[in-house]
Formats: sequence, structure tokens, C-alpha cells
Amino acid sequence: MSPEFLPALPPAFSQATVFGLLVVIGLLAGEALRRYATLPRILGYVLAGAALGPHGAGLITDDLLFDLRLLIDLAIGLIVFELGFRLDYQWLRHNRWLFVTAVAESLFCFGAIFGALVFFDFRPLLAAMAAAIGTATSPAIVMLIVHDLRAQGQITERLLLLTAVNSVFAYVLLTLLLPFLHLQHEAGWEHALLHPLYLLWGSALAGYLACRLMLAIAAWLGKREETQFILLVSMVVVAVGVAHALKLSVSLTLITFGVLARNLDKGYAVLPVHFGHGQQLFFVILFVLVGASLEFTAFNIAAAAVVTAYIVMRFLGKALALLAFGPLSGTNASGAGLLAVALVPLSGSAVVMVRDTTTLYPEFGRELAAVVLSAVVILELVGPLATQFALRRAGEAHPGG
Amino acid sequence: MDELAFTPSAPLSVGVELELQLVRPHDLDLARDAAELLARLDKRKLPGAVKPEITESMIELNSSVHTRCPELLEELDQVRQAVAQEAGVLNVRVSGGGAHPFHDWADRRIYPNERFRSVVERYGYLAKQFTVFGQHIHIGCASGDEAVRLCHMLTRYVPHFIALSAASPFYQGEDTAFQSCRLTAVSAFPLAGHIPYVQDWAEFLQYFARMRAYGIVESMKDFYWDVRPKPEYGTVEIRVCDTPLTVRRAALLAAYAQALGALQREGRARRASRALYMVNSFNRFEACRYGLAGSLVDPDEDRRKNLGEDILETLALAAPHAAALGCGELLEELAAGVRIGETDAGWLRRRRATQGSLADVVRDACSRWEKGA
Repeated sequence: MSPEFLPALPPAFSQATVFGLLVVIGLLAGEALRRYATLPRILGYVLAGAALGPHGAGLITDDLLFDLRLLIDLAIGLIVFELGFRLDYQWLRHNRWLFVTAVAESLFCFGAIFGALVFFDFRPLLAAMAAAIGTATSPAIVMLIVHDLRAQGQITERLLLLTAVNSVFAYVLLTLLLPFLHLQHEAGWEHALLHPLYLLWGSALAGYLACRLMLAIAAWLGKREETQFILLVSMVVVAVGVAHALKLSVSLTLITFGVLARNLDKGYAVLPVHFGHGQQLFFVILFVLVGASLEFTAFNIAAAAVVTAYIVMRFLGKALALLAFGPLSGTNASGAGLLAVALVPLSGSAVVMVRDTTTLYPEFGRELAAVVLSAVVILELVGPLATQFALRRAGEAHPGG
Repeated sequence: MDELAFTPSAPLSVGVELELQLVRPHDLDLARDAAELLARLDKRKLPGAVKPEITESMIELNSSVHTRCPELLEELDQVRQAVAQEAGVLNVRVSGGGAHPFHDWADRRIYPNERFRSVVERYGYLAKQFTVFGQHIHIGCASGDEAVRLCHMLTRYVPHFIALSAASPFYQGEDTAFQSCRLTAVSAFPLAGHIPYVQDWAEFLQYFARMRAYGIVESMKDFYWDVRPKPEYGTVEIRVCDTPLTVRRAALLAAYAQALGALQREGRARRASRALYMVNSFNRFEACRYGLAGSLVDPDEDRRKNLGEDILETLALAAPHAAALGCGELLEELAAGVRIGETDAGWLRRRRATQGSLADVVRDACSRWEKGA
């Protein structure tokens, strides 16, 4: 008879244990890749996730992924907030061509992918949605590489700006396409019209309110870095929670929150806060989970040509816009080229967008998934390499970074 | 060409060099966009020159040579506008001040050119700690002998320039209690200090030849003296000033140097004496630490006096020359500031007190420099 102080076998490990373990494994994989192959750490996290995920060892199950969805949102929320918080409206005011470049980058990229998909006989709506998703660069990958390399300089700043703009562009466009999707599936027009309105205005309003609340509290708290750090993190958590609960877009809410927190803070109540090592923890867990949710099964030979076209046209669209308008905004041709390469990572939230659509209209979602998810798999692995290469080549990585 | 051949220049002509901070708006730490900014400025027709400095976070404005300081001010103002404009395109801000209040020196990156690399090779961390920002003022001299005499004479007034320009009260995130902490970073270099007590250019050349034979120096650039002759320009260079927060104040300091030069030429300045070098480092420290409120030991008068008062006395003495040089109003403005104890360091401390953080201090300093007044 076993004594009572011993646990029953097998012991019931809580999710916290699994969570901690995932971080440790991801961390090890990341450091190993960096040390032995000088590859970006992020690849290690993703590969570890893929190896442990539903398609690998199965330590991370689909259920677990679903349970941890809030955690993923939290990680993305923090990253997107920081991205927005770096955006200075003043820069666009001083450099109008930069704004033109950013808009052109999104438009050209969207147009190029859309054209390619229509050429492959995709229905226009499907093509448009896939193209909208493809327009976004992954804020998470870009921010992680920038942090990892301690990159600093013109290409880095522009990379972050363009990422923010194309992410917002992609999300807004995708949302505006929703009515057509609803109508195609014979939902009522109220539904078709109100859904995007709710998503866009709801998210923007939530971001605005979070910002106002935070600015008021920050002004009262005073300028101590420690207290402001806690305030910022907790407000981000609250905003993510609210967006989640109200079925709003976490990304859109948080990027609005970030941009407004920087640009509405006329009295400079908020200090420039560095999230530091705490953020690194979120990066690891995020990419382990992203790795676990990669749909390797989405691959099939038949789709290879489409996927290739999707990836190539996406890159060409971005590159063309940057080469055409970059020089007017103060980047030379080689800088524009490097910027196009740095923008390659495809947003992991593409997976989420596809999932959302899948839940709404399963049939349509599956068609979308075949193309987009394959591209995600490829670009999730190639993207970090591209961004790292571009920033190193531009001489903006820290020598010790 | 022999670097040490003294090229005569018009006596009392003035020129200034201003080292400026490049700041990134999102966290107000130092940026590293010097190369891009310089490339943009290169395409514009500007008087003088804009050059790289040792780290990628600084640029240096060189004015052209002037005989009248109001014109110098006009030119500096024109360049300031151009720099602010081009920096805006790159999302970089520009600021005066002797030191960035909270940057981490270990983060600095050395501007990629041969000379700066060799400085890092030789001086290690000192080179990166040397991310401080000064104003250099050149005064033209007709001969090497005159330059040597002017060097000695100006050494007497080094504390004046330190106190008048002081604009680096914060360093590495702390209030240093100094008015100018920048000079401490300079003092760490082995060849900092002052010119030896030589009497003429020939004697100076002997001294230099000896130092070169010992392998201590290769060129004049290796001396980090407070005041040093610059034979290729035919000038004496005052190097102790913090870069002021405005180009206007930079011009005021240049006008003061010019007026002192005029005093020297009239023979009305106090004679340089060896005794001065006994008290020099004490006087210098007092100026760095306490600014205008510090004390100054005058070995000629055999007494210790208030630095601010000494400056006002000297300004009064120089006033007639200043009028002749067309900078009377500028010196009056300088004197008015001394009377109320106003300095850039004081302004920075007040911003800290009202705004609450060093990030705010940097932002306000940028706005002040970009506006120009």
C-alpha cells in the first residue's frame, strides 16, 4: 500500500507544467540552432513546436492549442502594441513619401497576389481574401528578429513602420471582404453589413478607450519606470482580454491602442518603456505554439504551383512598390531591395484569420486554407532567415547581437 | 605638406565646430543614423561642412570662417534648419548639450572609418565613453608665435568657457551634480590637459619633435588639450565648451572668444604666467562642478574669486573690442545671462524638475535646438 503523501500514479500534471516545459524545450532548440547553425533562434522555437505538435510527438494537442489561444493572443497583443507604440505620426508628416510608399507597398502586394490567384482560376472573392492575408508581414517575427539582432537604423525603422501599415491594411481589407462572403453564403444583409462594422469600429473604440484610460492612470502615477512598466503590461492584458471577450480583433485593438498611446499622449505622461526579458518569454511560447499549429498536411503537389506563385508574386509586389517609391522617401535602391526581403515573413495571424473563416463557413475556409496555410508553413521558416539576412546585410544588426 | 607648418590666417577670424546628438524619437535614446543623414546633407548646398564623428550617433557641423559673429550666427541658423529638416525625413531628432543624459555607452557603434577604428583599438572603452558633444572655437592667428601666446592667454579663461557653455548635468541616467560632466570623459585620455609652457612656435616644434620621437604622438590630432594650436588652419582652438542647446548660444561663445583674442592683441589681457598652470586644474574643476557659482584662483591677483564675477569683469573689459568687431550685442546678451546665473545646464535641470524624466529632458532639448532659440 502506498503512503498517502505520495501522489497517485500517473501524476496529474497541470497545464502550467506543460507550458513551462514547452518554453524550456523551445529555448533549448532556439539556442542550439543559433549556436551550431547561426540560424535565427525563432526557427528553433518553431521547429520545436512543430516536433511536439499534433503532427509530431503530440505533446501539444489540438485541445491544448485551443486552451492556450488566450496566451497566444496575449503574446501577439504585447508585440503588436509595442509595434504601434513605436509609430510616430510625426515621421509621416515630415516624410509624406514614406506614407505613399507604405500604402503602395500594401496595394501592390495585394494586387500582385490577387492577379496571380485569379490567373489560376480562383474565384475573385477567395483570391481577394487570400491576397489580403498575404499582404501582412508578421509583426511577431519582425519584432523578434529586431530584438534578437538589436538592430537599429533606417531599414529597421522602415521595416517596423511598413509592417504596422500592411498589417492594418490586411486586417481592414479582410474585414471589408466579409460582407461579400456572408452574402455569398446567403446570410442576411444586416449580418453582412454589421459584422465588419462591429469588428472595425469595435476594435478601434476598444483601443481608444484603453489608451485614454492608460494615459489618465499614467499621468496620476507619475514617471517611474517600474510602475509604468506594470501599468503598460496590465493594460495590454486587459485590452487583449476585452477584445477576446467581445469577439473583436486582438491585433487591431492592440495596434490602435499602441499607436494612440504614442500619438495622443500630448503631455508625455507615458515613458518610453522597454519590455525587456519578459517579452522574450512570450516570444518563445508564441513561436512554439505557432510551430505546433503549422498545417504540414495542407501541402499537396497539385497546389505547389499556386503556392509558389503566391509567394513569388507577394515578394515582387512588395519589391516593386519599394523600388518605385522608396527612393522618394529617402531609401536608395539597395536599401529598398533589402527592405523587401526583410518584409518576407508572412503573418502567423494568417492562421487565425483562416481559422476564423473556417468556423464561419467551413467549406470556404478549407479552400482558403489549402493555399494560405502552405504559404504560412514555408514563410514561417524562410521569413526569419530573410529578415535576419536583410538587417545584417544593411549593417543594422548589433555586432554582438 | 608638413602638418606643423603654420599657415597664417586673418587675425581674429572665427569659426566653430559643433558636435550634435542624433536622437531617435521613439525612446529618445541616441540614434545611429549619422551616415544616412550626412548623405542627405551632402546633396544640399550648405555653407561650411557637416562631418561624421567617432560614433554613429553624432555629427559635426563646421562653420566657414567669419570675421563678424552675427554672420556666423546667421550661417549656423541656416545649417541648423537644413539639418533639422533632413533629420525629420529620417525620423531622427537633433539636439545640443554636452552629453546624452541616459544613453548606455556600451551600445554605441563606432563610425566605420579607419581613423575612428584605430582610436577604438588604442583606447578601448574610453573611445565609446567619448560619446560626448563639444563646441570647438577657432580664432585666427597671423603666426605660430602669436598662436602660442594666445594659447597661454586663453588657458586663463578656460573656466569661463566651461561655465558659460555647461550643458551636461546628467550622465548615464544620473544627475552628476556637475554643470558640465563632459570634460571628465576627455580628461581620461593620456594626452589631455594643456599645452606645455613653451614660449614660441620654434620651442613648440622642438617639444613636438621630441614627443614624436618617443612615439607618443603622430600628429597634432593626438593632443586632446583644452586649448591647442591648429597650424594647418592657422588658428588656436578652444575645445572645452559643451555644445550649447542653441546655435545662438554657440555664436555668443564664439563672440566672447573673438573679443578675448582682441584683448590679447591689444596687449591688455593679463600676461600668461607659469603660475597659472599650478592652479589650472583646480579652476577647471570648479567650473565643471559649480559653473558660474564656482570659484577661480587668480595667481596674478593672488586671490580666490567668484567665477561669474570674473567673467563679468572680463566682459566689461572686452566690451569696446566687441563693439568694434560687431558683436557688442551678443556679448551684452551673454553678460545678461551671467548676471542672472542662467546656463543651459540649469535649463536642463529645470526641465527634469518640471517634466519628471530624463526622456522628457531629451525631447525638450531636441525641440529647443531644432527651433534654434
